[in-house]
Amino acid sequence: MKRILSTIGSFLKNSPKTSIGITLILIMLILTFGAGLFTDHDPLHRYKGEYHSPPSAEHVLGTTRLGRDVLAQTLYGGRTSISVGVFAGAIAVSISLVVGVTAGYFGGIVDNIISAIINIVMVIPQVVLLLIVASMLGGSSPILIATLIGFTSWPFGARVIRAQTMSLRSREFIYSAETLGETKLRRLFVEIMPNMLSMISSAFVGTVIYAIMAQSFLEFIGFGDPLSITWGTMLYNAQNTGALSSGIWWEVLGPSVAIITLGAGLTLINFSIDEISNPKLRAQRFMNSYYKELKKNKKRKEKSQLKLGGNNG
Amino acid sequence: MKYVFKRLGFYLIAFIAAITLNFFLPRLMPGDPVQMYLSELYQSGGRIDEATIRAVEELFGFNSSEPLIISYLSYVKNIFTGNWGYSFSNYPQTVLQAMSRGLGWTLFLMGSGLVISFIINTFLGILVAWKRGSKLDTGITVTGQIIANIPSVIIALFLSYTLAYSGIFPRGYAVTPLMVHANTFEFVKDVAYHAFLPVTAIVMMSLGGIMGMRANMINQLGEDYITMGVAKGIHDKKIMFAYCARNALLPVVTTFAMQIGFMLGGSLIIELVFNYPGLGKVMLSAINGRDYPLMQGILLMSTIMMLSANFIADIVILLLDPRIRTEGKRG
Repeated sequence: MKRILSTIGSFLKNSPKTSIGITLILIMLILTFGAGLFTDHDPLHRYKGEYHSPPSAEHVLGTTRLGRDVLAQTLYGGRTSISVGVFAGAIAVSISLVVGVTAGYFGGIVDNIISAIINIVMVIPQVVLLLIVASMLGGSSPILIATLIGFTSWPFGARVIRAQTMSLRSREFIYSAETLGETKLRRLFVEIMPNMLSMISSAFVGTVIYAIMAQSFLEFIGFGDPLSITWGTMLYNAQNTGALSSGIWWEVLGPSVAIITLGAGLTLINFSIDEISNPKLRAQRFMNSYYKELKKNKKRKEKSQLKLGGNNG
Repeated sequence: MKYVFKRLGFYLIAFIAAITLNFFLPRLMPGDPVQMYLSELYQSGGRIDEATIRAVEELFGFNSSEPLIISYLSYVKNIFTGNWGYSFSNYPQTVLQAMSRGLGWTLFLMGSGLVISFIINTFLGILVAWKRGSKLDTGITVTGQIIANIPSVIIALFLSYTLAYSGIFPRGYAVTPLMVHANTFEFVKDVAYHAFLPVTAIVMMSLGGIMGMRANMINQLGEDYITMGVAKGIHDKKIMFAYCARNALLPVVTTFAMQIGFMLGGSLIIELVFNYPGLGKVMLSAINGRDYPLMQGILLMSTIMMLSANFIADIVILLLDPRIRTEGKRG
């Protein structure tokens, strides 16, 4: 146990991206899911006479046009936004896993058909499709939005996972598993899957980022549920009440900073996952020492030259 | 040539798939758009009888009296003959006419955004791959990726609040309304002035391309021919651009074409925030007016844009990669 902890500790120390990313996400999770600890205001309560009031000690991020506390809305709204992102990411990754592994593992005609389908789905612009489906279904609840995003954003992950499965499939350990007489399912789930964990988690994090972006986009256009508070609907309300054109920047500040922080955290984590799965990209540590060595050598040379010069003079 | 035909075949299949999706989409939805439209008509005091229902059905391309396969085939035929139906928020304009208002501006925005971001991403990618592991590398890649992962809504709102509302750049439109331009140069200047912020937003949102170029460059830098080049004493710049970048570009061109769909979605939003008269504006008015034929038309049109971008990418790869060309000759 101690050894695991110390390994994790040294990993975090060596990779500032990971530690900053994890910190940012933890901060966002604590702030949103423990919203009650950080604000006494009810996000839906309307403070009479305090419409569009600027940030103050009472309302740290000011109030909206309807007199609602922006900070409380940001914190409570984050719960829905983050859950939608995670839910959509889970759906998309499950689909891309099933599709990608099937295509990559079985190969041949199955692969041809599935990759043709993946390529076709990738060519149809997801965002426009998302808009049309959302508008045909009318106003939509967060769960519906998450499902829609999940079902339209799987092709990228499926392509990556398919390629990875194909390259794993022709490795020796799979052949030996085959010779040992392991069943197909066991080979898939016990031999191949664990080797793709980094791929899968990177696809998951990527889709969560995309889902949070797509959700804010859909809700900004006005497909959000007007009764639920999310970061997207906050932006929509701000735009609709003309907050920016009248200089009410604080109404937009809360959700924007929240989305950017969360997105930055997830991005940093994705970087470290990429570096773990592709050691070629993990250039930082040893290249750093290389640059240091280079500098040292330069200094040493300069010094020795100075010495030489001194001797001559 | 074989390669080109193979790709063209794929595009045709993809286009037919998009048409099929378009055909079945309204039929799969809960709630029939015809009924929805009729009830709206009824609420606004319209008179509903047999003839109205038939007229509305025809407007939507629905026909309850003929089998599905027949209406599907006639739908496909109509799409290929350029009869995309009528837009009912802009009746009597057809869908194509209604779209043509915004299409040019969107193509202009996307095209300039694409070219500029391609140049920026490629150069920064080459630079950071060459200096991999340095502080510059970490700084540029991380910042670029984080900016690319900010929703386009927020980027656009931020730019519009800081630069447009303070009066440095215009708040909307593609050209100054009601202005008569003295000459072509004036017109170009005005258009560029109005397009600056939207294009900046598009470029910011696609900064993630640096990562792709960097990863490809680093993979290439490990190859033997680079070591050989260094050993021969070839100048660094020549190795960077003529040897490494040329090979690293190939996968980037393909992913770039694929990203256009994503970019298109972002540019719709950017157009909304900047009040730019492109396809995004048309899309929004179609959504507000429940104009399904127009929305479906935009889906088809954006698929066509995606396909053409992919086709251009294929041609570019053909020019960059001699291996594919010779393969074609042998076949």
